[in-house]
Amino acid sequence: MKWNSRIRCALACLAFTAVFSGFSFRLIYLQMIKHDEYAGLAAEKHVYKQIIYAERGAIFDANNEVLAHNVPVETVVADATHLNNLDAIVDLVGDELKISARELAAKLRGDRRYIVIKREVPKALAAALREKLRARNLRGIYFEHDATRIYPNGSMLCHVIGFTDFDHRGIQGVEASMEEYLHGQDGYRYIEHNCAGQEIVLYRGQERAPRNGYQVHLTVDLNLQNIVENEIDSAMREYTPQKATIILMRPQTGEILAMANRPNFDLNLRADAKPEQMKNRAIIDMMEPGSTFKIVTAAAALNEHTVRPDSMIFCENGVWNFGGSALHDHRPFGELSVQDILVKSSNIGAAKLACSVGEQKFYEYIRRFGFGERTGIELPGEISGLIRPPQSWSKISITRIPMGHEIGVTPLQMTVAMAAIANGGKLITPRMVKSITSDDGKTLSSLSPVVLRQAISPQTARQIGDALRGVVSDRGTAAAAAVPGFTIAGKTGTAQKVDPKGGYEKGKYVVSFSGYLPADHPEFVGLVVLDDAHTNKPELNYGGLVAGPIFSRVAEQAARYLDLQPHEEIRKALPVERVALTNVPPR
Amino acid sequence: MNRSRHRNWNRVDAASLARWIVLTAFLALAGLSYVYLTLQLYHLGDRKKALENELASLRTQNDVASVQIAALTSRSALQRRLKEGYLKMIPISEHNIVRLTMPAPPNGEDAIQPVANQSASR
Repeated sequence: MKWNSRIRCALACLAFTAVFSGFSFRLIYLQMIKHDEYAGLAAEKHVYKQIIYAERGAIFDANNEVLAHNVPVETVVADATHLNNLDAIVDLVGDELKISARELAAKLRGDRRYIVIKREVPKALAAALREKLRARNLRGIYFEHDATRIYPNGSMLCHVIGFTDFDHRGIQGVEASMEEYLHGQDGYRYIEHNCAGQEIVLYRGQERAPRNGYQVHLTVDLNLQNIVENEIDSAMREYTPQKATIILMRPQTGEILAMANRPNFDLNLRADAKPEQMKNRAIIDMMEPGSTFKIVTAAAALNEHTVRPDSMIFCENGVWNFGGSALHDHRPFGELSVQDILVKSSNIGAAKLACSVGEQKFYEYIRRFGFGERTGIELPGEISGLIRPPQSWSKISITRIPMGHEIGVTPLQMTVAMAAIANGGKLITPRMVKSITSDDGKTLSSLSPVVLRQAISPQTARQIGDALRGVVSDRGTAAAAAVPGFTIAGKTGTAQKVDPKGGYEKGKYVVSFSGYLPADHPEFVGLVVLDDAHTNKPELNYGGLVAGPIFSRVAEQAARYLDLQPHEEIRKALPVERVALTNVPPR
Repeated sequence: MNRSRHRNWNRVDAASLARWIVLTAFLALAGLSYVYLTLQLYHLGDRKKALENELASLRTQNDVASVQIAALTSRSALQRRLKEGYLKMIPISEHNIVRLTMPAPPNGEDAIQPVANQSASR
């Protein structure tokens, strides 16, 4: 067969058609079927997701003073595969960042590719280092955006504010409890780089703006906090207790005005703090409240109308045998009115009041005052205390619990109970957060007072309040808690320390004073607790003599700061020194 | 002879030539404009980036300054300066305080209150 030119031409055309059809099919396959896959691969090479970091929200006090905010810093890192002149880099970076050359060289010569050289480098220092690296053409050192949390007041309010971890997540205090508000949401932007690694702004892709964290405003007033911190420091110097707590609270709204604990720590040097220093003892420490708990006992009896304020109770002249065990008063009392049981702090009188109410009803009143449940304050780690139900009480529990033994309460629970007496019987939820605002100042949430329940009637609260005024008089156990110019209502407490191994520790006491001012229209309730205070003479280790004067000093300064008007008739008259040691207070 | 030479010349169609020149010029201008505008876009992008960096730098400086102000005016810093004697504070004695009598609050929400009806006087 002889191929003529026409056949050859047709074959050539066929070959061309086949080849180009192949190309076409391949093109369709790549451009349409495999488009997404290859587009993705290509994007990986030159498109980057740039994170736009959100700022963590700041924390303010009630007067908008800054308690916690951020300062931008940089983290200096190295990519070991990009380092071009190790010795020069070690010299320069070590010198600038104050790291020893040997340590830095060991770090950079390690097996890891991504090496963190130093965190929290100030922006100015990082900028200077960046310039020097560029000038000497040294490569492999990179700078990552970061921010560090700064607490301008150091140790003040440390247990309340709390702190964050390396990832800027709150792990204690308000930083932890308000994490969802404080933590912002990072934004992002898809960008493309040129061969020099610079962004081509023209090719910016999808973008989402960051949302900065919200600002949290606390109810704490830093001026009042300062008063409390100074007084708790001076108490630590004077009595060297193991632990101490002072709380100030507004009884009508539940706002915590100040809260201080010792031992404490500096929030800016938290790495050096021991766990014991980091505990917010106002909410996580359980103590036997001692005689301050008698307000609950008397309130139960008066509210149940088993007694009247002027009812006379026989106090067995100092010793009462009940359930095979003797109950003692600190000194013998005969007949005492219900009011005087509180004023003189008679254990036997309190026990008889509880007996008149009955175990079940008394337990109900303990629970009504909020003991045995968390108060609900916006702080993490709060405990509920320890209140056993009547089924597990011993025969003598009804005589011991009324004087604040055999139970465990937190200092905050005790403050809330005293606030219920001060505000007309309402059990109110203590609050630490006043409002939450956005970074442009718009209020997102403003928290209002929460009344949990009417624990006792207003009349009963008034009757207890009248009795508590007598406690801070020359007839009562806390004359030294008086504040010139003001009528104060309060109650002392002195409880032997519970031994973790069982029983009580000899010679060790938890002394406390809880009260409010002015007694007629209370502006604040205060609690002072000192655990294992050391006095010159053991017989002076009482709530009225140790915690009372501390409360007096705090209350006097707080009243002045809050501009409470002293009563004219008692402004000049009250000689505190005269009533300071007029009688021996009870345990 | 002259007539035949004249007849053999290729005659230029002026209108067509002008059309082509205009079209070519237009295309060239469009191309140059495209290049110019694209370069402008890149340039503006760079300027935008530079301004963003400047803004970020100013924000950073502002944040650092805020931190310094907060540290210098913090309670603990002021107390330290007070102790060191840089600041002097004298407590105000009670007899130096003048209190203005505040108007008495109304008896209650339901209490009858005098009101001024402004719309009625018009």
